[in-house]
Amino acid sequence: MSSNIGSLAMDSSLSVRLVKSLTKYFNIFKVSLVERLAYRADFLLGTFLRLLPLVTTLLLWKAVYANKDEISGYTYRQVVAYLLLVHVSRMFSSMPGLASGIARDVRDGNLKRYLVQPLDLISYLLAYRMAHKVAYIITSIPLYSVIFFLCRDFFDAPPDPCWFCLYATALLMSFILGFAFEASLGMLGFWFLEISSFLYLVNTVNFFVSGHFLPLDLLDPWVAGILKVLPMQFMAYFPAALIMGKAGDWNDVVWGLGIEAAWCLGFLAMARGAYALGLRRYGGYGG
Amino acid sequence: MALKRSFASYLRLVAVFARFSLTREMAFRGNFVMKVLLELVWLGILLVFYRTLFRGVDSIAGWDSASFLFFLGCYYTLEGVVETLFLENFVEFSDLVRTGNLDLHLLKPIDEQFLLSIRLIDWSTVPKLFIGSGMMGVAVFQMGHPVSGWTLALFAALFVAGVSMAYSFLLILSSTAIWMVRNQSLMELWWLFSTLMRYPRDIYDVAWAWPVRMVFTFVLPALLVVSVPAEIVGKAILDPWWICWMLVSAIISLSGSRRIFIGSIASYRSASS
Repeated sequence: MSSNIGSLAMDSSLSVRLVKSLTKYFNIFKVSLVERLAYRADFLLGTFLRLLPLVTTLLLWKAVYANKDEISGYTYRQVVAYLLLVHVSRMFSSMPGLASGIARDVRDGNLKRYLVQPLDLISYLLAYRMAHKVAYIITSIPLYSVIFFLCRDFFDAPPDPCWFCLYATALLMSFILGFAFEASLGMLGFWFLEISSFLYLVNTVNFFVSGHFLPLDLLDPWVAGILKVLPMQFMAYFPAALIMGKAGDWNDVVWGLGIEAAWCLGFLAMARGAYALGLRRYGGYGG
Repeated sequence: MALKRSFASYLRLVAVFARFSLTREMAFRGNFVMKVLLELVWLGILLVFYRTLFRGVDSIAGWDSASFLFFLGCYYTLEGVVETLFLENFVEFSDLVRTGNLDLHLLKPIDEQFLLSIRLIDWSTVPKLFIGSGMMGVAVFQMGHPVSGWTLALFAALFVAGVSMAYSFLLILSSTAIWMVRNQSLMELWWLFSTLMRYPRDIYDVAWAWPVRMVFTFVLPALLVVSVPAEIVGKAILDPWWICWMLVSAIISLSGSRRIFIGSIASYRSASS
């Protein structure tokens, strides 16, 4: 009887702790969302400017397809649809400033604030980034709705609703993968004083190998084959190809989502492991 | 005579700035190597993209494979010149305004525009000049027709005009930092400007893109910066109207940006006071 009461008390204290912890990170999410929405004009201008290069890219592809109906299985309409959809993928997976922010906190000694407070760095950053993404997506919806409406002729008929569920899953996982990938890179700050150039290099390579620049299928088959083995393709190419029906049949897509989930877990584990190892050598100077 | 002496002293200053910047870069050799590597990666991406574009077609908007390579080489070299000489200075300009450190530069007995435009030279982008020139050389070889000295001279003049236009645009953008302390989105405008330069202007020959072409040819002539010089050699087009308009645009850009810069400096109130 007394052991039952003891285990009940333990259960309730565990659930109270869990609720408190979730409330804490939910509050971080709320504050970050309000902070982000305070700069919505700057935000909209930035989004608008990022779309203008898309116009030049579309014009270039129009010129490429002037005398050709299909290249490597893609028509002009499909390339345009892909380039628009890849913006949606990147909307979820891009994490500007995450890795450099972690490295800066390590270098400047500001990491101490996570160590002296009941806060877990990775959970805090995840909540913060989720808020940023929600704000970004909310403010981008009107603009993207107009663009997708104007470009509606480039898209084929909407696929089965089940495919939308798979697409949403791929996008959510691309957010987690983008976060975990950048967080892992940021942990390099524990071992190297200055990693900004390295991060810039990785981001540049990632921009290309993730399929942001062009559909990976248009590259030489052997290059495309290599790039489709890398995790970066899930940050841009895979979700876009999935909803366009270019990622294979149902089995291929489910298999692809499984691989994406494995990469997410792998990079989250890497970020956690690197953080734990990094803390062992962290001095906490400055700040 | 005084003008000549003044010109010589400014040239000497450029040499001193270059030496100082190189010393600074060599203090962080690893970072310097990484920056050079980054430029090479960009080049690799550019070339893979170029190769992919021409995998299925013979020409794009009237540019065949060799002439398009010349265009890319020209773009890469021009971007290299701007990044080597000016970009870092303009990126730092808004910081100088925000922190009040601009005061120190304004007190020096030298033209402010000259000092603020060229005091930092980015040596990591110098390889772009050689690689870009090499790409142009390979393209000319592939084109198989000789390029006369007269054409080369005209190309060089228009290339300088293109650099002047890009420089003027950067100067105007940076000048606005004095009125709007936070100009992060404005620097994104530079990225937009360079995106417009990246492809031949012929791709804008589409009905719905006509307004874009007009604005970026006559109001903010970003589409001319690389296209007009590259057309002279790459497509052997010698259109006097476009050549004149490019040169006139460069002169208007330089004088207009100088006026805006002086106007912005006049309204500078120093953050430290």
